[in-house]
This record gives sequence, C-alpha cells and structure tokens, in this order.
Amino acid sequence: MKKILEIRGLSKVHGHKCPLCCDFTGPKHDTNICRHCNSIVAIHDISLDLYEGEILGIMGESGSGKSSIVKTIFFDEIPTDGDALFFDNNEQYSLFTINAARQRWLRNHRFGMVYQSPHLGLNFSISAGGNIAERLLMSDLFHYGDIRKRALELLSRTEVPSERMDQSPGKFSGGMQQRVQIAKALATRPPLLLLDEVTSGLDLSVQARILDLILEIQRDLGTAMIVVTHDLGVVRLLTGRTIVLKNGRIVEHGLTDQVLEDPQDAYTQQLVASAL
Amino acid sequence: MNPILKVERLSKHFLLHMRGVRVPSCDGVNLEVHSGRLTALTGPTGSGKSSVLKCIYRTYLPSAGQILFRNGNEDIVDMASASEHTVLELRRRDIAFVTQFLHCLPRKSALDVVAAPLYDQGVSQKRGRDCAAELLSRLSVPERLWDLPPATFSGGEKQRVNLARGLIARPRLLLLDEPTASLDPLTSERVVQLINHMKSEGMAMLAIFHHPELVAKLADNVIKLASPSDGNLAPEASL
Repeated sequence: MKKILEIRGLSKVHGHKCPLCCDFTGPKHDTNICRHCNSIVAIHDISLDLYEGEILGIMGESGSGKSSIVKTIFFDEIPTDGDALFFDNNEQYSLFTINAARQRWLRNHRFGMVYQSPHLGLNFSISAGGNIAERLLMSDLFHYGDIRKRALELLSRTEVPSERMDQSPGKFSGGMQQRVQIAKALATRPPLLLLDEVTSGLDLSVQARILDLILEIQRDLGTAMIVVTHDLGVVRLLTGRTIVLKNGRIVEHGLTDQVLEDPQDAYTQQLVASAL
Repeated sequence: MNPILKVERLSKHFLLHMRGVRVPSCDGVNLEVHSGRLTALTGPTGSGKSSVLKCIYRTYLPSAGQILFRNGNEDIVDMASASEHTVLELRRRDIAFVTQFLHCLPRKSALDVVAAPLYDQGVSQKRGRDCAAELLSRLSVPERLWDLPPATFSGGEKQRVNLARGLIARPRLLLLDEPTASLDPLTSERVVQLINHMKSEGMAMLAIFHHPELVAKLADNVIKLASPSDGNLAPEASL
C-alpha cells in the first residue's frame, strides 16, 4: 500500500499565541484556551498517515479540533505550524509551502471536500448540475454537452434524480443536498476525499444511504478518505483506523474496532461508555 | 509441521480508568493452530475465551505475550505489536473472524454482505455474488432471502450469513466465536459439514463452541482455559 498523505506536527492557534499556549492547554488541563493570552489552540502537534484507498476516522466531541485538521488540509485554514506531504502519482507536494496557485490547483483537482453544512460546499444560486459543472470547468472538460453528461452521471451515481438536475440545491432535502455535495466533490475524481460530519443532523434512513454511498465510492474508485465525525456508529461502519481527539490533541489512535472495544485512554473509555 | 499461529503467554486485562480498576480476562495462554486442523477453546464463562480470539484479531490489545502468525510468505508477524496497516492487510488476506453478531450496512443484500471480503480483494460483483450464493445454499439459507438485507433475518439466518462471509475469501486462519449458538440440529449439521470441508482444504481454525458435542465432532485438539480466579491455565488435552 502506498502512502498518500503524511502530516507531521500540525498545529493551529487562533489568537496571538504566547510561548505558554501549548504547555497550558490540552487534555491534561481540560481546555484549549490559553489562560495567559486567551488564544485558542484548535489543534496541536497532530501527526497522521493516510494510505491509498483507506478510510481514516477522526472522532471527538465538539470543539476537539476535528474539523480544523481537514480544513487545514483543504487550505480553508492556514496552519500555525507543521508539515503535510501529499503524494500524487509520482509527484510530491509539501502542502503548506507550495504557492497559492498550486494550492488552488490541488484543491480543485486532487482533493474533494464535503462539509457538514451544504451551504459551505454548494452554491445555492445556481442549479445542482451547475454546481458540478463549476468544478468540472476547472478540470479538463470545456464542451457544454460533455460537462452536462458527466454531471448527470455523477448525480445518478449519488442517486439524485436526473429531472432535478436543473433545480437549485436549496430546494432539495438535507440528504439530497449532501449527495449533490458528494457528486461535486467527486467531479474531478480526486484521490483524496475529506468528509466533515456529513451525516450529522440527517435522519437514520438517509444516513444509511449516504454511508452506503461512501463505501461504494471507496470500493469502486479506491478513493482515500478522512471522515470527521462525533458519531461512533459512523466510525464503526466506515473506517479501518481511527484517531481520537481531545482539546486539540490526539489522545489515542488504533484500528477502529480496537479503539471502540478496547479503548486505552481514559477519555476514549468515557466517550465509548457514554455512547453505548 | 510449523503452526500457522502460535500464542505464547498471552495475557489480557482491562484497565478501567473511570473506576480505577484492573479487570483480568485471560492469563498466560499458550496455544498453537495448524493448517487443516481445528483447535477448540473451552472453559467456563468468563475464562477469557472470546478475549483470546479478539487479541489474536487485534480487536483487543494484548497486555502481555506474543501472537505469532505465519503469513503467506512464511514470515512471522507478531499480531500483538504489528503496525495497524500490517494487521489490516492480514485481515484482508489471511485472517477472518466470525462472531456471534453481524454488523453490516442496513441497505446491503445478503449476497453483497457475504461477498464483501471478495470485493475488498478486487473481485467483480458478478463473481462475488456467485460465490456467495453457493455458500449460502450450502448453509441452507433460503434463496428468497438472498436479495434482502440481513438486518431483518432471524438469529440463525444472520449467523449463517456471518459464517459465509467469514469463509468466502478462504482465509488461512479462521477465528470462530460460537458460530452455531442459535442453530437447530439439522442446520448445525450443515455447518459442521462445511467446517470439515474447509478443514480438508487446509484452513486453520480456532473456535469456541457452545455445545460440547461439537467440540467432540470437530476439534483436533482442545485448549481448556480456567477462570482467572482459579490461577493458572489448565494443561492442554489432546482428543
């Protein structure tokens, strides 16, 4: 198996950041707010590896820094510290040192992101098909007919009825909006897909459909994914490995069934015990 | 002949931080499993039989001891300390675990649930489903159920779906945790036949059975675990 992503020492601090920030925050102090300068240490010293075709789970409660990790990878946020290497075919990109144009290119062509809120991932003032076309235009398709055909293919793969292609996603149900987001993210066939709480707030039958779709994508396209969720059921069904975050730090990592059935860290034990 | 699996002085205890207690599960377990043979784990409830299987599959992290698995390239891998990716790769190719409970996605048909390990290896859906159908029919799961999601099945039907999924990719080592607990005698006999068939094809198995007569019928050797309070592991007995 080949490595696709290698993250080392990733940190993100919101605020001035004083020398004491990292020493006085974290699970031991049960806070991520520095009491000296009031900076918020969203994540600190995060290291992880992702291999081709695997799904890695990031779990933890609200505010633990789960989303900050995927947002920095997707260039939505600028990290305070740390390195990330992305391996793509024979190329290797150091994500936080390449220039903005290169970052934009990776974001548009090689990464896909599905946000918890469809408002972040979709443009509601254009049609569902238009949303996908927008991303396709950034890749190699320019012919109107080709773009429309490909958009239709993507929507049908994510089970969005073709007759709704020309409607605004604002008119769709929550589950369908998420499926349009997934179709959009997949438009350029990215080798890396980031999923941020994609099933939160959806009812159970709709959740099942989306989880099912995610596994199908992994199986058919071999896409590597990072799945951020606070739902242990989602972690259990989707992921092979999981990391557990608390106050912006990794407190435990391991095979998903091991983390859920034989958690080692006190916090993970508490998290698992309160969920089952 | 070299064993495919050799467990040495395996111990497992759980440290429950919230309560500040250490719960012992199994202690000083030694066992060997050979290709084409079935080793049965017996012992009273609470003696740690399931924990031994889960440690071997790395669902539990062993507290002490070694779990030496001989992979397809004749390399020895210690499951207790192997990297996460090594374990995932062994689970994909070599080691399968059939538990009493079936975890699967709600919308998948029984055929796809059973064929999933083959899909993971890149087998086409058509071929995967054919293999799944053959196994399900050998286990007398009625054909009318094959296209339905197993969530609605009876306990015994689910158990056979689970067993079929464990067997389909022909793992080199199969871990079985009470695979016949809720089956009637006739169906149980079909399972016995299938297990014997897989043994004759060279599959190594380590199993926990609910019924002593199944141990007598299927096991080539028996490892008896004592309850943790009773002290040491009881000596190995050969049938």
